[in-house]
Amino acid sequence: MSTYYAGLFADIGILFLGAMSVYIILATGQLSLGNAGFMGIGAYVASFLTVEMQWPLTAALIAAALAAAAIGIVVGFPALRLKGIYLAIATLGFGEMVRSFLLNFDRMGGSGGFHGMKHVSLEYIWLWGGGIFVLIVLLERSRLWLEMRAVHDDETAANLVGLNTTATKVGAFGFGAAVAAVSGGLFAHHHVYIEPGNFGFERSIDFVLAVILGGSTVGAGAVVGAGLLVLLPEWLRFLADWRLAAFGVLLVLVLLTRRQGILDRPLLDKLSLRRARA
Amino acid sequence: MLKVRGLEVFYGPIRAVRGIDLDVESGEIIALVGGNGAGKTTTVRAIAGLTPYKGTITYDGKPLTPNTAELNLRAGLALVPEGRGILGRMTVEENLSMGTYCRKDHAEAARDIERMFERFPILKERRHSLANLLSGGEQQMLAIARALLSRPRLLLLDEPSLGLAPKTTTAVFELISSLRRDGLTVLLVEQKARQTLKIADRAYLLETGRVVMSGRAADLANDSLMSQAFLGGATSPEIGSP
Repeated sequence: MSTYYAGLFADIGILFLGAMSVYIILATGQLSLGNAGFMGIGAYVASFLTVEMQWPLTAALIAAALAAAAIGIVVGFPALRLKGIYLAIATLGFGEMVRSFLLNFDRMGGSGGFHGMKHVSLEYIWLWGGGIFVLIVLLERSRLWLEMRAVHDDETAANLVGLNTTATKVGAFGFGAAVAAVSGGLFAHHHVYIEPGNFGFERSIDFVLAVILGGSTVGAGAVVGAGLLVLLPEWLRFLADWRLAAFGVLLVLVLLTRRQGILDRPLLDKLSLRRARA
Repeated sequence: MLKVRGLEVFYGPIRAVRGIDLDVESGEIIALVGGNGAGKTTTVRAIAGLTPYKGTITYDGKPLTPNTAELNLRAGLALVPEGRGILGRMTVEENLSMGTYCRKDHAEAARDIERMFERFPILKERRHSLANLLSGGEQQMLAIARALLSRPRLLLLDEPSLGLAPKTTTAVFELISSLRRDGLTVLLVEQKARQTLKIADRAYLLETGRVVMSGRAADLANDSLMSQAFLGGATSPEIGSP
């Protein structure tokens, strides 16, 4: 594979993990626009551990994921009181808070950024991507998923069948934050240089976009979304200056025809059935 | 079985329930009647653990903690909320399966779901369709079936007849009577006072967050104040007719 495509597939893997982090939280009906914040936390914690503490990368990523999960749970509690657009704005605020904290955190380079990480291979990124994808697919078949959907559907009703909706929602925030942190750690060790600007609002939007475009009702949708979000602007390069506009038009067209995103459960079943028959 | 003393519920500065006392004995159907804004829904939501409140609610001699619906359910107290509270984007079967969520006896719970299908054949027919797509009456049956699957001893029903056709309403009231025959205790909130008082043992009449009258349902049905306020005009001997 050319380095050009290797770079693109690495970006897809990282974006896919970020999209997954949004998907998990969205499954409980909460829209987070601040997951780039968790990604940033993951990137900085993992980089600090590998560069300054000489930890192996895998251990550093796990530690970063746990740290972000703890922060995610802390953020999850005030988020319980907010719904819909208010929650979206509050999480956006959280993301910006993290970014501006990193900007002023001179210990880790502040606005100058941080470097010294060792480059990771594409395979390593997708090992994480694949592992977490399998985890999500297993989760989607579990009883816990039914609980998360129930909370998404009607919180009061979920509460009345004996569900602890607080635990479900806060847990989703913690899990989502952990996945975003892995994405950040991999980003840092793929690009070997990070700065607070990498983890801004636009990154959060990319995550959400990948989920909405690829399909917000199945985990596999995030793979499709992340792939398209990275590859389409490249494929449209022949349009030169117009490529981002064309990308925007395509996006609107997809959402007009398929509100649930490109991939949904019926389509996924059809695809896997065809594969089974072949 | 259930004792409510000095219940007060606030929505911001508004005192929606202003000191209600209420008793439910085992095996009874207790009706909570009153007009819009009387505080009926707020009262049952407080009992079910969906809103914070002041005052005490004791169930089986033990005080309940406010705002802990999932614990109350495990204690045997289930609410079918106003508007049914079904999980619309989940199938009928998934809804029923969620109804057994708090139970540990999984095999018996699965058998209970099958029994519910026998009791409500329409739900069996539509077990794979999304709950959203059921008719109002079917949704109400589903909501009650789901609540029953937690094996409650006290069932709180909030306006089960809301938005239902008269015939379906009658079916729902018949179902409630049959639940009592099975040994369930029911606290029923309703605006359809005539039909409610017909099946209830005792009733409380609520007005602007207070109990203004209580007693045997039959006595309340014949009371002139009650009849002026809620039953439409003078007391008539055939008060029970819908």
